[in-house]
Amino acid sequence: MKNNILIIGGGIAGMETARQLKQLGLNPIIVEKNFALGGHVSQWNRLFPDMIPAKEVLDPYEDSLEGVEILLGTEIASINRLQKGWSVTLSTGKNYSCKAVVFATGFRLFEAEKKEEYGYGIYDHVITNSDLENWFNTKLDERVPEKPQAVGFIHCVGSRDIKAGNTQCSKVCCITAIKQAIEIKEAFPNAEVYCFYMDLRLFGKKYEDFYIKAQRDYGIHFIRGRVSEVSETIDGRVQVKAEDTLAGKPVKVRLDLLVLMSGIVCNRENEGLAKAMEMPLDEDGFFRSRNNVNAITEADREGIFYAGTCTGPKTVPETIAEARSAALCVYNYVKNNK
Amino acid sequence: MTERLVTGFHPFVIPFVAGMFFVLGYCLYGIIRILVELPRADRQKFLLSLITPKTVWKNIKDIFLNCLIHVKLWKRNKVLGFMHSSIAFGWFMLIVLGHIEVMLFLPERTRFFYYPIFFNFFVAEGENTIQGAVLFFLMDLFLLVILCGITLAVIKRFRSLLFGMRRTTKPSFLDRIGLYALWLIFPLRLLSESFTAHISGGSFLTIPMNWLFRQFLGNDLNFLPTWWAYSIVLSIFLFVLPFTRYMHIPAEMMLIPLRNAGLKIKHPRKGFARVQFYSCPGCGVCIDACPMSVRKENQKDCTVYLNRQLRRNNESRIEEISDKCLMCGKCTTVCQVQVDGPHIRQAQRALRSYSINPHYTQVSVDEHLSKIGKGKVLYFAGCMTHLTPGIKKAVGEVLDRAGVSWTMMDPDGGLCCGRPMLLAGRKEPARAMMRINKEIILASGCDILLLSCPICYRVFKENYNLPGITVMHHSVFFNELIKANLLKVDKDAEMKLAYHDPCELGRGCGIYDQPRELVSAAGTLVEAAQNREASICCGGSLGSLSLSYEKRRDITLNSIKNLKAGNPDAIVTACPLCQTTFKNYSDIPVLDISQVILKENKKG
Amino acid sequence: MEFGFKLSPSSAIELDKIDLSLYEKVCEIEPTAKTCISCGSCSATCTASEYSGMSVRKMLLDLQRGRHAEVERILSHCMLCGKCTMVCPRGINTRRVILTVSRYYDNVEAGL
Repeated sequence: MKNNILIIGGGIAGMETARQLKQLGLNPIIVEKNFALGGHVSQWNRLFPDMIPAKEVLDPYEDSLEGVEILLGTEIASINRLQKGWSVTLSTGKNYSCKAVVFATGFRLFEAEKKEEYGYGIYDHVITNSDLENWFNTKLDERVPEKPQAVGFIHCVGSRDIKAGNTQCSKVCCITAIKQAIEIKEAFPNAEVYCFYMDLRLFGKKYEDFYIKAQRDYGIHFIRGRVSEVSETIDGRVQVKAEDTLAGKPVKVRLDLLVLMSGIVCNRENEGLAKAMEMPLDEDGFFRSRNNVNAITEADREGIFYAGTCTGPKTVPETIAEARSAALCVYNYVKNNK
Repeated sequence: MTERLVTGFHPFVIPFVAGMFFVLGYCLYGIIRILVELPRADRQKFLLSLITPKTVWKNIKDIFLNCLIHVKLWKRNKVLGFMHSSIAFGWFMLIVLGHIEVMLFLPERTRFFYYPIFFNFFVAEGENTIQGAVLFFLMDLFLLVILCGITLAVIKRFRSLLFGMRRTTKPSFLDRIGLYALWLIFPLRLLSESFTAHISGGSFLTIPMNWLFRQFLGNDLNFLPTWWAYSIVLSIFLFVLPFTRYMHIPAEMMLIPLRNAGLKIKHPRKGFARVQFYSCPGCGVCIDACPMSVRKENQKDCTVYLNRQLRRNNESRIEEISDKCLMCGKCTTVCQVQVDGPHIRQAQRALRSYSINPHYTQVSVDEHLSKIGKGKVLYFAGCMTHLTPGIKKAVGEVLDRAGVSWTMMDPDGGLCCGRPMLLAGRKEPARAMMRINKEIILASGCDILLLSCPICYRVFKENYNLPGITVMHHSVFFNELIKANLLKVDKDAEMKLAYHDPCELGRGCGIYDQPRELVSAAGTLVEAAQNREASICCGGSLGSLSLSYEKRRDITLNSIKNLKAGNPDAIVTACPLCQTTFKNYSDIPVLDISQVILKENKKG
Repeated sequence: MEFGFKLSPSSAIELDKIDLSLYEKVCEIEPTAKTCISCGSCSATCTASEYSGMSVRKMLLDLQRGRHAEVERILSHCMLCGKCTMVCPRGINTRRVILTVSRYYDNVEAGL
């Protein structure tokens, strides 16, 4: 079977794994359900904390993946265990025998309309983090006013929320909100920007510096309180209600634009795949690793590996690092199971 | 007919007579106790109803139809209906016919009240048998009917699923004694009457059996022991009756007139409440009906067990069961006796005393009034609708498009309607809120108070007194707008919509048809597997004080499954709380009726 | 002797000297109370907070810091409408917490 390694998902996790495997002399095959590679990162404008354009991260893959078999618009129809390796049938009818399978199935952004009290899809000036990135890319979105006086960000939308069915922290939203708040401030220097947060979790390299910059250089207001209700004023602005928990007082603010930081949640499509392959999912719906310390990229089943956010929320650098680690695991596995 | 015994007495009747005196004495004591326990005004109301021809007639009719014929059970389940009415009505007829026999043949013995029961023992057939033939035939016929019922009852005890009951109650020790005694009474009667049939006469059942027995039992030695056994079993049944679920038989006869007199549960344990929980037949239909029963650990939290614990004064369980209930009211609708589970629970909750009692003296009516505009229709969104801006916005837009003159009562949030507080059994704070709301509504100068939340709707309808103001739920109001041609809706027949009856709107206020008409005007209505009165609570109810969010999950999932029976494209409901609850778990859209109307109006 | 400054009683809460019996009673009846992260959703959505400063978040915190008079003041305006229960991201049964505190407040205060 020519050392075939099947990679499910063509986001950065899948692409990076394929790139490494190719260099290690194996034969990676990428299966991607969309008609383009790049996943969520391709929808993003610039990446924290260095503000490099997402394009700069994605573009080099075009060269480095040359010669790798990439199947776009394709899904997995069935996967069966062989004596050594796996037999995979695709939605196109094609069949492959592979030595190992790497899941790089990624995540889904929480559907913000599910938190109806925030008014997404109901009020005219409520958008999500992903909508805002799209606006940064295209400058086209009717919901973003021409000259907003006040813009608000709500952190933790659909994450750390039992009612939304996701109790996990989505990890990237705090820093994304700060990044986007800064970008809004750059686009509209006169606008007041408010971030409503429960806890600020700025754990990564340079994140805290970014936070300091947002406070000191951009004058962004951080209010510790989760927004509970959003309403519309007569003149069509949005009014948010929260408690400033540090002041211990209810606060209200009228905004021209409200951005909901939709969190990273598990990809529901994994459920069917996991069931068919008898692979356990964690309570949060993400794939369960062999352990969460030194075997995050390995499944309990032999010859199955994970890369990226299919096992939980991760940042872009973490995803890339993990993809490299997964590739090395696959290489060793193939070498030891000749 | 002639008498075999000159005295008209035999010692075997003693157990029965003792049992009968005991039960009659107990019931008399019970009636007096209930009457004493009733508040003075209620007692007067009740006694007055007993001499009002209209209620008297209704009492007789209800007791006959419910206690003897079990009409409601027939409607629900024919086999169970037959089982119950054959036993109840058959037994009643045996007693009536027994009395007729005594009055016809031995009028001087009518004062011995055991005579109609043991008639066949005391008499010998004379020449005028023809006179008795019809009666004897009827006696055998009704005995046969009862025996059929008993057979079904025995089968049901062991195979309840055959009768469409998935879960039934576990009888207590005394319940079992009563049950077995009840099962034995009629076979023993058949045996006794068969053994004496060659002397006393009989009919198609007893005479052939008599002939059969005499083939191998040539003497009359079995004669007396079976009559003794019959009397003893009757006596056992009568003696345990007050301490078993069979107490429901006399209690229901008290419950019906009390209910017809229009009484409400005032005291948690005494008076009307006591009659309620003694009227529970313990059949367990409420177990299957209770939305919590999808969780095994909650199967003992339904009304039948509450009534049992109330009879036993098991305080800790009473509190637990009372607090857990979602107050959806389905147990009452399925109950043959209509034991009012939610109100009994509400009364238990009201028993508690609190050391922190809320007051709302800081609320300014004037400040509220200053935020309210002018309009014939005053729309009160209520707490729950403020968390579902989709509904709030849709209601406003529909009103605007229909050209209704309206204004909002709580644009910036208002007071709570008081129903959640009332459901928690805290009447005083609830009344305090209601007084303020009433003042605001009356001062607003509106004609119609419009609600989009059934929880609010019910309390405004039931507990507020708003003279000159019509209280309306938006599903009813929008329906009237369409009928008056003020609102046009284009039907999208392709769109299949399942309507969920919110508990407070359906079972609570009896509104089932108007929302369905509205849904049908906008799309194709597909009914849920269980709908209308049988609708399953969404699980989000404010009625429950103790059920945790996680434990409600199974209830919600079960309710969604029920709604999806007809493969709808969306679930439509008319309650913000139901909508929010469903939305957390549903994989198809969940819309409020106002949103559906707005959507289909846009096309026009 | 004059030191040029006065000793005033410390305003610090001594965590190890707080009477936690009421808080413990609440947690025993409604264990979800322990999971509060003070996000403020309950107070922000509260129907009564605007008039009165009603806040389940504050109440739970005051309970754990032994500020019982505050607890009573906060809870004497609750309407039990249930909005706080609906918005709580941790799924705390706030209504049960409120009813439990309101019920056992005196008992615990009196050391019963």
